Amino acid sequence: MSDNWLLSVENLGVRFHSPRGTSQAVDGVSFEMKPHETLALVGETGCGKSVTARSILRLVAEPPGEYSSGSIQLRNEDGSTTDILSAPEKVVRSIRGNRISMIFQDPGKALNPALTVGRQVAEVFGEHRLDMVLEKAGVSRARASRTIVQIAQQRAGWLASRVVGLLRRQDVRAVRRALDDEVASALADTGIANPRKIMASYPHELSGGMKQRVMIAQALACDPDLLVADEPTTALDVTIQARILKLIQGLQERRGTAILYITHDLSLVKEFADRVAVMYAGRIVEMGRSEDVLRSPQHPYTQGLLAAIPRADTPRGELEAIPGSVPQLIDAPLQCHFATRCAFASAVCREKIPVQTALGGDHSAACFRHNSAEELNVAASDMPLAASATGETQR
Amino acid sequence: MQVRDYLIRRLILLPFIMLGVSVIVFTLTRFTGSPVGIYATPNMTPDEVAALEARYLLDQPIPVQYAAWLGGLLRGDLGWSGVSVAPVTEVIGDKITATLELAIAAGLIAIMAGVALGTIAGVRRNRGPDHAARLFSILGASTPTFWFGLLLLVPFYLWLDWFPLGRSTTEIFAGIDHPTGLYTIDAILAGSPEALWDAVRHLILPAVVLGFGAMAIIVRMMRSSMVEAMSEEYVDAARAKGLPERVVIRRHARRNAFVPTTTVIGLSFGFLLQGSVAVELIFRWPGLGQWVTSAILSGDQATIMAYVLITAAIFMVVNLAVDIAYAYLDRRVVLGG
Amino acid sequence: MTRAEAPETRQSAGSVRWARRREVLAEVLRNPLTVVGFVIIGAFLLMALFAPLLTEPNQPDPYQSPRDWANIDSPPGEAGHVLGTDSQGGDVLYGVIWGSRLSLQLSLTVVLTTVVIGIIVGSFAAMRGGRLDNLLMRIVDVFLAIPELIFALAIAAVLGPSFRNIILALAAVFWVKYARIIRGEIIRIKQAEYVAAARVVGDSTWNIFRKDVLPNSVTPIVVQATLDMGNVVLIGATLSFIGLAQAGLTEWGAMVSAGQSGLLAGEWWVSTFAGLAIVLWALAFNLVGDGLRDVLDPKTEGR
Repeated sequence: MSDNWLLSVENLGVRFHSPRGTSQAVDGVSFEMKPHETLALVGETGCGKSVTARSILRLVAEPPGEYSSGSIQLRNEDGSTTDILSAPEKVVRSIRGNRISMIFQDPGKALNPALTVGRQVAEVFGEHRLDMVLEKAGVSRARASRTIVQIAQQRAGWLASRVVGLLRRQDVRAVRRALDDEVASALADTGIANPRKIMASYPHELSGGMKQRVMIAQALACDPDLLVADEPTTALDVTIQARILKLIQGLQERRGTAILYITHDLSLVKEFADRVAVMYAGRIVEMGRSEDVLRSPQHPYTQGLLAAIPRADTPRGELEAIPGSVPQLIDAPLQCHFATRCAFASAVCREKIPVQTALGGDHSAACFRHNSAEELNVAASDMPLAASATGETQR
Repeated sequence: MQVRDYLIRRLILLPFIMLGVSVIVFTLTRFTGSPVGIYATPNMTPDEVAALEARYLLDQPIPVQYAAWLGGLLRGDLGWSGVSVAPVTEVIGDKITATLELAIAAGLIAIMAGVALGTIAGVRRNRGPDHAARLFSILGASTPTFWFGLLLLVPFYLWLDWFPLGRSTTEIFAGIDHPTGLYTIDAILAGSPEALWDAVRHLILPAVVLGFGAMAIIVRMMRSSMVEAMSEEYVDAARAKGLPERVVIRRHARRNAFVPTTTVIGLSFGFLLQGSVAVELIFRWPGLGQWVTSAILSGDQATIMAYVLITAAIFMVVNLAVDIAYAYLDRRVVLGG
Repeated sequence: MTRAEAPETRQSAGSVRWARRREVLAEVLRNPLTVVGFVIIGAFLLMALFAPLLTEPNQPDPYQSPRDWANIDSPPGEAGHVLGTDSQGGDVLYGVIWGSRLSLQLSLTVVLTTVVIGIIVGSFAAMRGGRLDNLLMRIVDVFLAIPELIFALAIAAVLGPSFRNIILALAAVFWVKYARIIRGEIIRIKQAEYVAAARVVGDSTWNIFRKDVLPNSVTPIVVQATLDMGNVVLIGATLSFIGLAQAGLTEWGAMVSAGQSGLLAGEWWVSTFAGLAIVLWALAFNLVGDGLRDVLDPKTEGR
């Protein structure tokens, strides 16, 4: 572990139980994030990247899910660390939306259709910045009745809020105004031109791009240290995609947020991510700085992914796909999951699970091609063709 | 706005449908003995009866008779109620308020208990409370209201004597004014705790029995819409904001789950109206249901016909009101024909 | 492929359909609650069919309980009456058994007639469309404006108290439901692509109706009909409870009513057993109906 880290995921394991069996959706995933950096977590559907992302906020439902192993350490301001997976509920809640936020793939589904977007963004302020809101409204915490607090938190009962609204009209108005101001400024930060009008709208009245801006505003409202972005542009039109990504990048530069960017689209990684981790069937197969990994991928899966991206100069009729399909993860055998599709697969690949092997300069890959027979204590004939033998280098 | 147009169309159709209902009721009256039997009082002379027959144009073709009958209806002449020994229009007001009070009480019980149980069942899906709720719900749909009423009567009335039959204790009832006709509200308005207690004591058991069937469907609907709502992405997103689970369930999931449940609430009002027939009979509740059951036993056609017209009217108005409420709640609703 | 080989690889449309029906049945039976429902229905069916063998039919009217005047109001298990007798010495067990025949008669008659009438009217409306459709649907609206029980009550009251009139009344009221269902389904399917395809090919309207439209709209009708087998008996029992059946009839609702006065005197068996029979009947059909709905129409999820 380096000394300047923000989040450290160590040997994370997540299982899902179903009538058909138990599948290990995330198996021994470890990575680290430093403040201000962007790490892209890349892989195809079902590789476990979403589950990993949700685990960071401990959002995986237990049952049917289960955190089978590992820890997720978050570094606090005073230097202490909190293990998100084992911390009490209250602590985790104080982290969610506050120190670590998440934006979701489909903003249409991630926003409550029954509430205006303004109210939904206000919830974050009410939950994590209550004192600041009360102060701005000029209401002292001691004087604020429980109902006023609840109004600030957007969860006062209908009757109670009407009654208190009459009795303590000044205070309630001040609180509402303070909240609205915060929400409006948060929305304006994401480039929304008329935040007051948007605030009063319902999600279905807004366009996809607008909804995503609202979600981003909501996530960044409390200036989190880490933003987990789960495929934030997949559900958007291509033209809007670029704009939203630029927006996120801009906000990151201004606020210094670290971003964990989940995507299946390798082409976005180069532009937006400092580092990238490639996942396959629940495991990280390769990790390193973006330019290193993209320029000289060291894992057969990564190589296949990159080769499959059609480029302008790809001759006609030569689209490459990786043969085979992702293995079932229910009662999966203890071996390299990619072996069934890998051109280099050999005996040892089908018997052992590869671990991350350092390749120099922060680049690592989990592939036996980078190990020697002596390290693993197996016969040389069981080993796959070494990477060095085919002239693939790390730089 | 599409929704508004639909509702306006329903509103306009309403009188026509009522007209249709009146045609059906008129047809039914032609099956009874004398077509003017509903207007004849017991002590009329044959001359008076003949005069009635002339007035209602019994020698004219049927459509004309219908027009005459309808005319009488709109003038407020609903006939003579044999069981009440009075013109229908005189006594029907009290009957309506009595049944409404019972139905509203039963409805409130059904909604509150139903929503609460359904929510718990949906949140704790496939665990203890859920199975209990589903068992409850299917039993509720299979149990005849009249039998359930008798079943509860025995312990609570016979053995424990906690709840009396009927609607009120005569002296206490007579002791206060009745501006609304709803005993409980009148008691509150009169500021009389004694009357309020009397009203509630009489109301509870029949309201619970009546509400039971409706509660069953509401639990079922609420449960399934909660299950759906809890699996929506915005529920996870709300958790990701750091909101306590209680708030997530109440403010995010339940608020959305409640919307489809309102359609069921409209439906269950129909059950309440129908159930009131047996419940009023068993608990001696002086409402429309008891009125019509006596009418059936004594062949009092006027009462029966008036009963059909009134319940149909109430039923349609309530359904429309519920649909308006639904449209208000679900801003995305697109209603079609 | 030579002509001789072709028949082996060809599977008739009919056998495919049967295979699919068997699959559906297997899926339905996978739910234990549905199986319980079927078992109860089976038991009632046997009870109804073999009633004359189970108990000596009463003369002249088997649907009147034989009166044992020596043993009126006797509790269950005494004097040779397993479930006791009512205030006229009528045997409760006899009533329950012969009541099942009446329930079967009532529900089967009403459901079959209303399904057929409803399908005819609804199909007509949907296939013809236009003003005929409008007219028929307005009539349906009018019928639906009156709550079912109340409507049936009025009709039965006007016709005179008898079991036969209860059947007629319920039939007159229940058909609208099916008309609406099938009309909705047909309209939905009419817009489906395979119907457009059939029309392009030149298939006649009747053929399209028979082959494409009808088989696919049948599902919600089957579910509703099953549930109604229970509902009809519930409403019918309520009607006889109120007094719209003949006196002393071995109909469960009438029996509950007859046992009412006894209840308050502590003689619980008449109303209780008759009522239990109603509950079991309705429960069984509700369980089966729900099970069918879960399999055939998964969008209306109840799980």
